[in-house]
Order: sequence, then structure tokens, then C-alpha cells
Amino acid sequence: MSAVAIRPYTTAKIFIYTSIVWLLLGMILALLVAIKSIHPDFLTYNRWLQEYFTYGRLRPLHTNTVLFGFLSPAYFAMWFYIIPVLCKTSLYSERLGVFTAWAWSAVYAVGMVMLFMGRQVPVEYSEMPLVIDIPIIILVALMSYNLIRTILNRKERILYVTLWYFLGTMVWLPGIYIVGNIPGAYVSGIAQTSIAYTWVHNIIGIWFTPAGVGTIYYLMPKLTGNPLYSHKLSLIGFWTIIAFYIWNGPHHLVNGPIPLWLMKAGIIPSILLIIPVWTVLANVIGTMKGAWYKVAENLELKFMLTGALFYFLSCIQGPFQSLMGPNAVLHFTYWTVGHAHMPLFAGFGLVAFAGIYYALPRIIGRQIYSRALMNWHYWLSVVGFLIFAFAMWLAGVLQGFGWMDGNQVGAAFVRIVESLHIYLIARAIGGTFMFLGAITFAWNIYKTATAGKQIPVEDPLPAL
Amino acid sequence: MANDSEKNIGVLMLGAFALFMIGVLGTCVLPFFDSAINTPTETAKLKNYPANSGEARGRAVYIREGCHWCHSQSVRPVKADSKLGPVSVPGDYYYDKIPLIMTQRTGPDLTWVGSRYSPEWQYEHLNNPQKFYKGSIMPKYNYLSEQDKRDLVAYLMSLKPAPKTSAGAAAGR
Repeated sequence: MSAVAIRPYTTAKIFIYTSIVWLLLGMILALLVAIKSIHPDFLTYNRWLQEYFTYGRLRPLHTNTVLFGFLSPAYFAMWFYIIPVLCKTSLYSERLGVFTAWAWSAVYAVGMVMLFMGRQVPVEYSEMPLVIDIPIIILVALMSYNLIRTILNRKERILYVTLWYFLGTMVWLPGIYIVGNIPGAYVSGIAQTSIAYTWVHNIIGIWFTPAGVGTIYYLMPKLTGNPLYSHKLSLIGFWTIIAFYIWNGPHHLVNGPIPLWLMKAGIIPSILLIIPVWTVLANVIGTMKGAWYKVAENLELKFMLTGALFYFLSCIQGPFQSLMGPNAVLHFTYWTVGHAHMPLFAGFGLVAFAGIYYALPRIIGRQIYSRALMNWHYWLSVVGFLIFAFAMWLAGVLQGFGWMDGNQVGAAFVRIVESLHIYLIARAIGGTFMFLGAITFAWNIYKTATAGKQIPVEDPLPAL
Repeated sequence: MANDSEKNIGVLMLGAFALFMIGVLGTCVLPFFDSAINTPTETAKLKNYPANSGEARGRAVYIREGCHWCHSQSVRPVKADSKLGPVSVPGDYYYDKIPLIMTQRTGPDLTWVGSRYSPEWQYEHLNNPQKFYKGSIMPKYNYLSEQDKRDLVAYLMSLKPAPKTSAGAAAGR
């Protein structure tokens, strides 16, 4: 592609396509993990399978694949689509963008092989070794450079609030990635654990949350036809998200081996977190005024609104869990699994789907192949998630109270494990629904790209 | 409506960075200066494995095979953990390069597992957990090399509280 100019938005397009491939792979891994929890001898027919497909290696592969293979590139696609649109200019360097898009997948693929070989760091979401972390940081820096240059070239003087959130993520994502992955390799003890949990919480809190909220604020006016309800509210949300979320790491160690002051430093901001969440919800509901009827027809809006609702629910659950009493029951149980999937899949996952369904037709000039399949994707994802999450929440509560009755070791512990069998089956069923939804999604996008109805040039979709 | 600073991305990014750093200082840097965290306990000294000892290699196997995804290593001062033994304190983890506290108890907590079972039991259990507990969902680790299994057992056996000494009692344990 030396002499030929790259078409605008190619970077966003590549990020969308690669994220969908990784999504499917991440969900296959998820299903393997779920089945292995039901039946530990699944897929252990020979030594090789036993070693490389052991639960302890598949689990980090699943979380990393969905976080760094699917969800991160989906939001990078939103960066590379929305920022040039809002700046009314073209991307500073499409060539650099395309390079970063392919390099991201290549680097993650290498990281994935290393995880598969057992080279894992025992810190949640940071399992990839240092040799993978460094190229990731460089790629994020290159993307930010590209986009900041784009914003500096903007034809529109006003910085819409989505740009605030995206610029924020360009500071916070590399920041939290460096804090969470680099010093942890050199220090020891509880101070390191506090760093690890600051990372675990904030890969969601100050990367996916502001990226997702920025996307919501972009899509809201486009999909409803209403202006954003309150600009001021969204700015309050912006500053409070960073002010409170970043402190939330220690709430994962409530009742744990940390000093009391550190617990308080985690719990209080966790509760204050309701403020930024409420600003988002108030803004969403305010913008929906007079447009609620559109949800029935507009599938992108349905995805986005459901995502915003699940974001709100996870942020009610979060502060609740951070309190010492509920935490004593729920910590270390399956409840956490249900909770972690809510913001990531049901919250910002659905928002990312909405963003992809909105952006892709405008990038490739073709209409979404099938609205019916889109609706199937929606319902399979939402119903599947609800089965999954309620199974995990119930199992967690039963587990927590079972332990309080003194069943923490030996045969008594295994009795609790046996009693949860049915919930693990329910989780696998819910997960299968979510997986079928993802297959529907991938097929629909594939058909859109190859056989979608061309949008006539003289009558383009609005807002490109 | 919008004032000029709202149009300046420099102001925005500096502010975003400053608030980020305040939180990082509070939760990631300050803990290094807390005496409860940076004073090793007797238990911690017990777990300061010499390089290339069986325990140290066993810990590496434990991490490589992802045992930490199902087994926590932290006893909390709550009713649910009352049967697990002494409550973990920050100093217990002083020498742990990446403490394995983790987030799940799909299997039981292993903080003091070394004081609960014999090495022979551990070895057999690794080979076939279902032999002891029919409903266990732990995978069989019979594929590990003999060396790895022995190292892993050595590591598991090292997970126990230090014998009570006068120094330990003075520290309030």
C-alpha cells in the first residue's frame, strides 16, 4: 500500500474486525473454562491437553483475550472513528493508525502464546509478562500521539464532552498500565498487592468506564435526535470519575491483610463513586426525554441504553460490596465472577456493540446486513448474561453463608462445591447464550462487510 | 457557556494527570511507608525461601499452573474464616514477590495448608483429587514431572504459621 492513499477510518475498521475475531476466541475459552468447572476431566484426554488446557492457564487467557483482544480494540475503534468526526478533520496519520491496529493484535497474539505456555504473572488482568507490556505501552502512546495531533488540527473549536473523556483515557490508560505492570515486577509485599488491585479495579474504572461513557455521550444525541441533556453534568462526571475511581484499588482487600487506613482510603471513594455514575444516568435519562419510543425501533439505542443501565447497576453493586459487612460474606465467592462480568460484558460490552453497529455502516458505506440478527444478538446477550449473572450471584451468596457455617476446609468445603454444581451448569448455559449472540454478531458483521446493501453516495447515512 | 479553559486540551490533560497521580500516591506509594507493611513477621521470615530451594521452585510451579486462580492465601478476621487458623497480617507477606492473596476460593484457602495435611497426602491429592473428595472440581496434576510435584508439595508444606516465640508474642500475635 505504498503509493495508494489509505481510506479514512481504515484504522477504526481494522480495530472493529480484529476485536470481533478476538471476541469469538475469548468466548470459546470462556466456555472451556465454564465446562471445566462443571467437569474437571473435560478435555484431558492426553498429557498435552492436560497441561496446556488446564483451568489455571485457560482462565487468564480468557480474561486477557476479552479485555485486550476484544474490548480494548473495540474502544480504540471508537477513538479512531469518533475523534476525527467530532474534530471535523481527518486522522493525523491513517498509516500510523493502521500500523498500530495490526501491531496491537500481533503483540496480543504473542502475549497469548506466552500465557498459554504458562508464563503468567499472578496479578489479575496483568498476567502478560513484561516483554509484552512494553510494546503495549508504546502502541498506546503512538495511538495517543496520532489522535492528539488530530485534535490539535481540529476545525471545530469546541471540545465536545466525548473528546474530554477520550483525552482523559489517553492519559489514564498508559498511566494505569505503567503503574500496574512495571513496578509490580520489582517490589514485594502488601504494597505490591495494593498496586495490583489499583490496576485490577482501574483497568475497568479509568479505561473502559471513561471510554464507554464517552461513547455513550457521543451516541446519545445521534441516536435520539436530542441534544445532550446537560453539558455541565457530564463535566462534573468527568472530574469525579478520575477523582474517585483511581482510589478504589484497596476496596478489593477489605477485611484483608492491609492497614485500616488503606481500607478506608478504598471504601470511602467507592461510595462517592455513586456521584459520577449518577451524572451519567441523569444525563442519559434526560437526553432520552421524548425519545423513549425510539428504543423499540432503534436497535443501536437499545444496545446502548441497556449497557448504560447495566453500568449503573454494577456501580450500585460495587459500593455495596466494598462495605465490610457484605464483603465478609461475598468476597472470594462466585459473586465476584457475576459482578465482574456486569460492567465488562453487559455494561461496556453492549455499549461497544452499539458503537460498532453505529460506526461500521458509516465507515464502509454499507447497511447492517440484518436487523433481525442484530435483535437476536441483543436478546441472546442480555438473557444469557442474566442467567449467567444470577447463577453466579446466587452461588456466591450460598457459598458465603456456607462458609460462615464453618465449612471452609476439607470434606465440608467440598460439600459446598457439590451443592453449587447446578449453578455452574446454569452459568455455562447463560454463557452459551452469550456465545451464540457473539456468533450472530460476527456473522452479521461479516455479511455486512461482504453483502450489505450499499448506501448511495448522494444519500449517505446521517453524521459522517 | 463553555469557558476558554474547556477548549484547551493542555489544561484538561494536566488536570486529568494530576488527579490520577493523587490517587496513585495515596493507594500505591503511601503503603510503602506504613510500618505494619514493611516489618516482616516471623511467618514472613519462614517464607523467605532461598533462591532455587524446593519451596521457591514449587512456588514458580504453583504460579505457572495457575493454582492461584482457585486458591486464595489470606485469612480474614471474619466469622467465615474462623476455622482457617491465625488471621493474616500485612507483615506476613513481606518477602512474597507478588503475594498470592487473589480473589477466588473455588478451592479452599491455602494460607496455612502446611499445618493441615501430610506431604504424602498432598502428593496423592495432586495426582488425583477425586480420590479423596469425589465431588472435587480440582483438575488432576498427574501430568507434572516428578520434580515439579515434589517442589509443589514442598511449597505447600511451607505454608504454615511460625512457631510461637517471645518475639512473636511481643508483636501481638
